[in-house]
Amino acid sequence: MSRTRRIRATAVAGWHSFLRRRTAVFFTFLFPALIVLIFGALVETSGTGGGLFAEPPSWYVAGYLGVVVLFTPLSRLGAEVARTRDGNRFEKLATTPLSRAEWLVAQLLVNVVVIGLAAILVLGLLVALTGAQIVIAPATLLVVPFVVLGVALFCGVGAILGSLADSQDGAVAASNTIAIPLLFLSEAFVPLSMLPDWLPTWLSPLTYFSRGVRAVTYDGGSGTTLATFNAPDPLANLAVLAVAAVLFLALGAWTLPVTD
Amino acid sequence: MDALVAEDVGRRYGDTVALDGVSLRVGAGEVFALVGPNGAGKTTLVRALTGTTDATGTISVLGESPRAVNRERLGLLPQDFTPPERLTARELLAFYAGLYDDARDPADLLATVGLDEAAADTHYENLSGGQQRRTCVGASLVNDPDVLFLDEPTTGIDPAGRRALWDVLEDLADAGTTIFLTTHDMAEAERLADRVGLLADGSLLAVDAPAALVREYGGEQVLRVGTDATEVPALDYAADLADGTLTVQDVPPTAIGEVVADLEAAGVAYDELTWTEPDLEDVYMALAGDDSPGSEGGGLA
Repeated sequence: MSRTRRIRATAVAGWHSFLRRRTAVFFTFLFPALIVLIFGALVETSGTGGGLFAEPPSWYVAGYLGVVVLFTPLSRLGAEVARTRDGNRFEKLATTPLSRAEWLVAQLLVNVVVIGLAAILVLGLLVALTGAQIVIAPATLLVVPFVVLGVALFCGVGAILGSLADSQDGAVAASNTIAIPLLFLSEAFVPLSMLPDWLPTWLSPLTYFSRGVRAVTYDGGSGTTLATFNAPDPLANLAVLAVAAVLFLALGAWTLPVTD
Repeated sequence: MDALVAEDVGRRYGDTVALDGVSLRVGAGEVFALVGPNGAGKTTLVRALTGTTDATGTISVLGESPRAVNRERLGLLPQDFTPPERLTARELLAFYAGLYDDARDPADLLATVGLDEAAADTHYENLSGGQQRRTCVGASLVNDPDVLFLDEPTTGIDPAGRRALWDVLEDLADAGTTIFLTTHDMAEAERLADRVGLLADGSLLAVDAPAALVREYGGEQVLRVGTDATEVPALDYAADLADGTLTVQDVPPTAIGEVVADLEAAGVAYDELTWTEPDLEDVYMALAGDDSPGSEGGGLA
């Protein structure tokens, strides 16, 4: 009960802090919307017979969700850790009953809400602007744990980056440096068939998010030109993602600083 | 029972010695002030005592190691502490209260630290410096701690705000809270502390009650006389003359009239008399002097 109380207090404070940083709120939701508008509506992801966006719109649903699950927690957690360290808040918190793991879980809860809302926005825009047809089936509900575990995973990575970086700027720059390659090398937007055989995409945890979400939101469609779609087992991918999330959350909590 | 015990505590950052064999004891209910130049190791000692940095030696807080002690019983205001800035003072205290099983009512605490309703509902970033510091002190009091660490609690506050915070701390001390504070303000240390420790270059140079330190290290009571005399007149006290000022040493306040009468009897004209008694600042200057990093340093011979 005490732990719940501590996490709740920290999450409520974090949520209020986020809501009152209006530019952060604005760009948190504008960024994925812009990605959908640019790549989904302007460039158009409908099949063209070749090029980067050659798959049916529904194929990219996992990629667009991957954008919000990857970028937002990475940069938000990285900056939050740096900000909290700079204000000597970790030093203060270290003398309270709140553990570092509890602090990270509270941040995770805030991010799950923020990114959950962003994901709903992205799905709505995808359907409205690109005509993506999302499979509606009981298994589609697995998108929720995929998003939650994806957020947890990248909150952990963000916490590590924020702990290692010496400033908020450094944390954000580091998160972008990691996120952009991951996005294009994890079967989110670029099919495996377009990547070199030697590239170990299996090393990227985002790969399991992409594969799993695609397995429950995409039925293979018609007009697939490059991606050979053999629907993978979503639960197997979910399990790998869960293991990675727990691992990186634990590592993230462990690396959180106490003092500067 | 001692609330805090430090035995031969050391801490190095690379080649820099931050703490060099510091030993001290702080009794339960005592107010202990640590003074010293910038870079003396005050914050490092606070961190060692609170378990937020590693240190060699032995440290005990309420009979436990710093990291094993029940955190419900500790309060800390770190140096340069900045809480989440977009929360109101009331929300901040509610947040920190939410971290403890048994916390004070934030509304009562706001009154304790002297924040009115308007300030309580203002975002932290929009509060004045004094109000911000009061909020931070309030955040360190939410659990009604048995031991309270305050690292430069009144830095950046105007004199009125400082005195208001002193009143808060005196009330806490009267209620039996053990307070360990660091400060650059000698008046603060002299007013609040039962004992003062002077730290320089990571070493504790002296520890005693403020009055005892002043007696031991503060020097003499001095009468300075502005005069155009060209030689030192005959007086019952040692005196020297330089740059138009006659400095008469070790003059108690009851003997000022006697010295003045002697001056007049000797035909010495004067236009200014200043009597000063030593205080903690003189102790600080005598022991630490210009002991800031990069200087040659003062300290005891």
